[in-house]
Amino acid sequence: MIQVDIQLKRDNFDVVVKETFGMGITGIFGPSGSGKTSLLNAICGLAKPEQGFISINGKKVYSIDEKINVPVEQRRIGYVFQEGRLFPHLTVEKNLRYGMKGTDNNGMFNKVVELLKLGHILKSKPAKISGGERQRTAIGRALLSSPELLLLDEPFSALDVHLRQQILPFILKIQQTIKIPILVVSHDISDLLKLTNRLCLLKQGRVIGHDDYHVLLRHPELQASFSSHSLINAVSMTVARVDEESGITTLSYGETENWIKVVCEKSRLTYRKGDQIKIFIPSDDIALSATRLPYVTIQNQLEGVIQDIIPRGNVRICIVNVGFPLLVEITAESLKRMDIGIGYPVWCLFKSVAIDVAS
Amino acid sequence: MNIFSFTSSELEAIKLSVGVAVYSSIISLPFALLFGYYLARRQFPGKAIVESIIHLPLVMPPVTTGYLLLLILGTRGFIGKWLYAAFGIKLAFTFEAAVIASVFVSFPLIVRSIRTAIEMVDPSLEDASRILGVGRLKTFFRITVPLAAPGIVSGTILAFARSLGEFGATITFAGNIAGETQTLPLAVFAYMQVPGREIETLRLVLISVLISLFAMALSELYIRKMKRS
Repeated sequence: MIQVDIQLKRDNFDVVVKETFGMGITGIFGPSGSGKTSLLNAICGLAKPEQGFISINGKKVYSIDEKINVPVEQRRIGYVFQEGRLFPHLTVEKNLRYGMKGTDNNGMFNKVVELLKLGHILKSKPAKISGGERQRTAIGRALLSSPELLLLDEPFSALDVHLRQQILPFILKIQQTIKIPILVVSHDISDLLKLTNRLCLLKQGRVIGHDDYHVLLRHPELQASFSSHSLINAVSMTVARVDEESGITTLSYGETENWIKVVCEKSRLTYRKGDQIKIFIPSDDIALSATRLPYVTIQNQLEGVIQDIIPRGNVRICIVNVGFPLLVEITAESLKRMDIGIGYPVWCLFKSVAIDVAS
Repeated sequence: MNIFSFTSSELEAIKLSVGVAVYSSIISLPFALLFGYYLARRQFPGKAIVESIIHLPLVMPPVTTGYLLLLILGTRGFIGKWLYAAFGIKLAFTFEAAVIASVFVSFPLIVRSIRTAIEMVDPSLEDASRILGVGRLKTFFRITVPLAAPGIVSGTILAFARSLGEFGATITFAGNIAGETQTLPLAVFAYMQVPGREIETLRLVLISVLISLFAMALSELYIRKMKRS
């Protein structure tokens, strides 16, 4: 757990943050210049706040009042930079081992190399590997320094869409394997939502919201932060059935009857019954129907109840409880035409191909 | 007379010159790394003054540098007097004096070169190293020095070559004593004073050129090798 209560002067504004970040991934979201990186720099010791304190797992690493300022190298923080910052004169292997202390008794090195699929480039210099490999090496290097906290600053911004899809699952796997708090900074909400529902919103150096994404969405004053970003449903599900013949994998969420069918090449190859996977469904790829449609090609029809309707310009975001909250974006016009509202039962329709899977 | 049959005093001069240059470079290097790093990376009060003092020998006539050294470190100089009284150390007009003169004269060159090389190293890599749990000093040797290596090597070679050619400060502070402080340039000068010694003069000049070329070729080879890997 990290406690931050700081005031940090910047050229054009002050960063004033008083928050507690727990285990798992917290997404720090805000426009460029909102103080996201300054916050990370203060936590790791590269920036010195004028006021307040920072504590990591109950240990103060910085405090103005108690005159504590643990040097950067003793804070035990893993920091993955936007540009990777690999050491150009060292091979990937030497980069990875750079922050390792003592002998590697638990075979951590091999585990990380396997997790991040770096085996084939260990002897290469950073200049000779791809952007995705570089970013994975940077993540691996941070993990191998056995940090108590992992900071990722725009880990995807240097990568194209395809490579982003590659890195995401690695970060999700890390979260499952290593139980430490992870802060991910990004200005791209859909990237963040693929990793976590827990968001901390920053605006001009102030935290304007820190909660589950679905809760934040209901605050009208926070709407502006999300505008112009496509909203994504990210749901962790369990593989219930794999039909090799049709290539359709059926997923379940807890005990609910609402099963989701995923169709994709990968599903046939990778998944086994019982696997936990995370799927992403863009909110504007989901349609609503008042009844179940009997004759339709759409594979997924999830029954649920409208919990909330959030206006956002001329669209409405319906939060439908289908066993888990599902965001559905429809036009205000459609909502009026269907004559539905909070508490109404609806069916959420989406094609299997609209689903993206982290794998 | 064979152009390559050296007299013993000529061989002595070559040995002395190389010795002075090697010692001077080895002594300069750690200080140059320290000053180069601080000048490249830190802001501190009096930085401009420190810079000016380091660079002074570059713009001053070497003879005056030598004279100042004599004033300070000579047996009557304020440090020299104390050295002699306390330890019996006499510096002026010795091999050590030749080395000290060379250190002072070549120091600005090596510091400049190292400073520029360190400025080219991305400081964010040093930050990254420290976040990985590696302290400042180790970061310096594991990240900064290897990345600045080409500049450090060429700066050292430059200082070596400058020491090899040092004349003014040496003759003033160390004198021109054959077999003790008479380095190549001083020997060339001594020969030039004697009529009929043109061949010997030319021979020593040639040797100087060859040593300098060899040093530069070595540094070039090293830098190329660094770039390839």
